[in-house]
Amino acid sequence: MKSRGVRPGEVRAVAAAAVVSAAALLTACGSSAGGAGADVKQTDSGGAITVWVDPPRVPAAKAFQKAHPEIKTTINQIDGTVGGKSLQQQFAQFNQAGKGWPDAIFFPSNDDIAWASGAQVNYTADLTDLVPDVIKGYADEVISPCKIDDKVRCLRNDAAPDVFWYNKTFFTQNGYSVPKTWEEYGDLAVRIAKEHPGKLSGFTGDAYAPDRYLWAAGCPTNARQSETEVHIDLNDAKCVRAKDLLAKLVQAKAVSTVGIFDADAAKIGKDLVMSPGAAWWGDYLFRQSWKIPAGQMTAVTPLAWNGDSKPATGNEGGGLWGFSRHITGKQLENTLTFAKFVATDPRWQVELSTGLPAYGPVQDAWIAKQSQQKYFADDKTTFAAIKGATAFVQPDHSYLLYNTGSVWTETVAAGLASGKTVDQAWTGFNDELVKQAKAMGYTIK
Amino acid sequence: MATALMDKRSTSAPTAKPQRHRTKTSRPSETRGAWILLSPYVVLLLVGGIIPVGYAVKTALEKPPTPLDPSGGFGGVASFKTVFTDFRFLDTFQNVFATLAIWLPIMMIGIVGLALLIHASPGRFGSTMRFVYYIPGALAGIANLVLWVYLLNPAQSPIEGFWHAVGVDTIKQAVAAPGHLPFILTAMMFFQGVGSWIVVVNGGLNGISDETLEAAALDGANAWQLAWHVKLPIIRPWLGYAALMNLAYGFQLFLEPQLLDQVASNALPDQWTPTQLGYAFAFSNYNFPAAAAMSLILLVITLGIGLLIVFRSGLFGEDDS
Repeated sequence: MKSRGVRPGEVRAVAAAAVVSAAALLTACGSSAGGAGADVKQTDSGGAITVWVDPPRVPAAKAFQKAHPEIKTTINQIDGTVGGKSLQQQFAQFNQAGKGWPDAIFFPSNDDIAWASGAQVNYTADLTDLVPDVIKGYADEVISPCKIDDKVRCLRNDAAPDVFWYNKTFFTQNGYSVPKTWEEYGDLAVRIAKEHPGKLSGFTGDAYAPDRYLWAAGCPTNARQSETEVHIDLNDAKCVRAKDLLAKLVQAKAVSTVGIFDADAAKIGKDLVMSPGAAWWGDYLFRQSWKIPAGQMTAVTPLAWNGDSKPATGNEGGGLWGFSRHITGKQLENTLTFAKFVATDPRWQVELSTGLPAYGPVQDAWIAKQSQQKYFADDKTTFAAIKGATAFVQPDHSYLLYNTGSVWTETVAAGLASGKTVDQAWTGFNDELVKQAKAMGYTIK
Repeated sequence: MATALMDKRSTSAPTAKPQRHRTKTSRPSETRGAWILLSPYVVLLLVGGIIPVGYAVKTALEKPPTPLDPSGGFGGVASFKTVFTDFRFLDTFQNVFATLAIWLPIMMIGIVGLALLIHASPGRFGSTMRFVYYIPGALAGIANLVLWVYLLNPAQSPIEGFWHAVGVDTIKQAVAAPGHLPFILTAMMFFQGVGSWIVVVNGGLNGISDETLEAAALDGANAWQLAWHVKLPIIRPWLGYAALMNLAYGFQLFLEPQLLDQVASNALPDQWTPTQLGYAFAFSNYNFPAAAAMSLILLVITLGIGLLIVFRSGLFGEDDS
């Protein structure tokens, strides 16, 4: 190289500085102290409100604008990725700045309610005394995810109890009878896999799979004891029965290791002949995504475990609306008008929403509207099952700071996809769940 | 042979000293000019480097508020302890080192080999190949990822046959099977980065004077000896620079594993790299002190490695004359 007459010592110093600065870019993170839901003064914009919604809820906000032109409403569309972390990040920064929160928000993941109502972010208002009439319209088990330490911190948009779906046409053709218990479901799934290779009786690869099987079994993965304590015990007999059932299904190749939202599921979805699954599976998965022909799929009451007197089921999603506790006056009044609208108004819940409304009084109107599509093999049984299933959703399951669904997809779903057995994957699931819970600051009881 | 050119230190070590005397006699106007030229960089270094580092140190020494004890205050080195004892800490470094161990050697050999080949190919062919190698680099960031999502998905991939031959039927199996990710990241980063680094190193090769190459040829060096004994020692600083920047990039891996996790239906650990763990500390645990501590740990490691490369490779070192 040609000498440019610069002294080596100088250049070294600059070079070292360059390295320092390159490395310093690594400290980009951690540049704001976590604001512990500090009590800031409640503000009043004079009436204008800002609402944050994920893409499927945009019609709800637009319907509100149409119904209430007198309220100046700004709609912000947010990332609807379930399990996304960007929202948490924004709220941490709003707390830091003491401003910027939306007045109302639809949480993309139900787990979001854990941090949004937790002591640190503490964003959601206690709605118990703000909208008592609305709260009265919810069945206890439907509003329970929002009841945190005896305060109602959110409103449920839709109920998403699991029912038992089956392909009536396939069952009739082959003379199978619909199972009533989880054990019968296991036996029949093995039989179908043997007699009709390639036909599926469930999916295990998505974040809702633990809700479908473990929550339904009453397995304590999310049994909140207090803000900082949780009961997790995967060796509990209730967990073991779910694990044994899954092991049986996986071994017989009766279930697919892909998840219901995977791109690959669309190809094999048509081969699903029966499965526990959420109320919204009917319209969203079978009709819109997998395009299973009309007149085949039907739902019945969820399954019961042997020896139990009534059915036991889980719940997959069913979105939550949160409202800011940092506002007052006219702004709060208008936000509550919005809250009532999105939770109860038929113009959204019946006319536009595809999920079973969580708010009881509008459920029948929604069923009447959905029945017009004539999609299910037996509409009457299907909708009765969907409406009744909320009563069988197992208690003691809260949304928490750790995400059981994503622990499942990282351990069990990934393990099964790469050829592990359920037993092998289960150990990893247990370890990871406990570690994640501890890392989030929970004490395991 | 070219030995005379190979190790300048052996012949010029005693004469390197006299330059030191010039330091005393540099004119004020020269110094002022140097500072004026340096000042924009210093400002940026302060804003984007020194101040954030200082702030990170301050934050790392604070006590994180928790639901049980919402008070802040001074926490000493507790946040470092939190980071070191976190169950994911060692795993994330293991992952990043596994990736670097595979990727860096391939990257460096690829850059050097291809750049030397281009430099040795005269005329249009060489410049055409340089352009061809550069094309994948134009697909930066997200575009590169989208391309790889197609390649990695056996249902859509043009290399579908390869995937089926190794028994992979879904993108989840391709990405989330144990041990696959370092290789996938290696492939992604190699194709994305190799083209632009070839251009950089090629610039270094073009800077070698014709006289030097001619002298080596007259000494009887063949093409291989020319590359190995003449060109490589001269462009060593460029290679040091390439290694340093790629190492810094590798340590900061965040985007690729984060997005691959999404396309693999969340089958990858959410905290696969140290930066993802730092992000989780900040925005999942609300433990900003731990996030700052994690950043500082990364800073110390990359700074150490960076300085080692700077002083070992002769990067920005004494110029050859």
